[in-house]
Amino acid sequence: MRRYAAAALSTLTLILPVANAAAATTASTVKPKVVVTTRKFVGTAAEADRWGQLQVTISVRKTTTTVGKKVTVKRRIVGVGVPVYPNHTDRSVFINEQALPYLKQEALQAQSANIQLVSGATDTSYAFVQSLQAAILQAKKA
Amino acid sequence: MTATAVTAPGVRRVEHIMGMPILVDVRDDVDEAELDTVFDWFRAVDETFSTYKAGSEVSRLARGVLRVGDATADVQDVLARCEELRLETEGYFDAYAGGSLDPSGLVKGWAVDHAATMLRLAGFENFAVNAGGDIRLAGGACPDHTWRVGIQHPLVRDRVAAVVEGHDIAVATSGAYARGDHVVDPHTRRPPKGVLSVTVTGPDLATADAYATAAFAMGASRAPVWTSTLTGGYEAMTILASRRVLFTPGFPRAEPR
Repeated sequence: MRRYAAAALSTLTLILPVANAAAATTASTVKPKVVVTTRKFVGTAAEADRWGQLQVTISVRKTTTTVGKKVTVKRRIVGVGVPVYPNHTDRSVFINEQALPYLKQEALQAQSANIQLVSGATDTSYAFVQSLQAAILQAKKA
Repeated sequence: MTATAVTAPGVRRVEHIMGMPILVDVRDDVDEAELDTVFDWFRAVDETFSTYKAGSEVSRLARGVLRVGDATADVQDVLARCEELRLETEGYFDAYAGGSLDPSGLVKGWAVDHAATMLRLAGFENFAVNAGGDIRLAGGACPDHTWRVGIQHPLVRDRVAAVVEGHDIAVATSGAYARGDHVVDPHTRRPPKGVLSVTVTGPDLATADAYATAAFAMGASRAPVWTSTLTGGYEAMTILASRRVLFTPGFPRAEPR
């Protein structure tokens, strides 16, 4: 078995006799032969949307079983990869910005300001409300 | 900030309901007891819509032991609006984004919009309701003539990135900086890329909040383009990871002062 495993590693081709126990108890003179190969197929890069290309690879395991003159082939996808995909965070934003003079743009700034409330995700508001509550309590004591 | 809180007229009350702090800030002459009905409303909403309470209608719907047709009118309204918004946002606002029914993204704004109606019917003209950072305003922050809302800076905790000024307006912000990545792109089930936060302003908070969530989920590739197509008085401010800020032309922005 070790020999076969080594062969599989070097060539991705594995030739096995069918399960030994079964073979030993079968009187058949025709030995089934199983050949397993795994190949990677690379898809054509395609426009995933208007901002970029996407390419998919699949790995297919092909199992060929031969019993006498009867050959059975089974194929199964055992892996999918996406080596090329649209880079939405850089390229597409750039295109967006080029395409959208309609939107006003500026650099992100940090300000402090005279405001009554803060709109944001929850914990920020919670901090704001805590602070507000403390202020209200102080106001009640005063 | 605190100086305003101390000297402002009216009353402010904060309670922790639906897993977040809810602040009701009324600047008119008001007896604090008059705010009880508003907070009772939020507690009732929580009982009906909580995904954490096994007995809530939403939990029973999610488990399949309650049919939509047998749910209360409020629940049916919210689910119908979720579906409208899913279609409007190209599937990016999705009450099933996490795999099972969770309309919380709409319920918060919807509940606040109802609370604002209750306050108005009670005769108040100047108030703000802030539910976990999503805000509905009315009138002004007396003695100031308008309300000024800071938009949380996504990278610097104690600073704002812009200020929104208005009278009767809703302000919703969706971002990943507070509780980690709690918004996922329903199409990929992954956190979106390239956007730090999206703020949407407009007439009602439920819609503004859903739009902000959807635009944030779209990521940098689609959010700016999509926000530029908003109608009905909705405007957006998108902060990109590249530290660029994009505003739609009508965004109600105030100069800092």
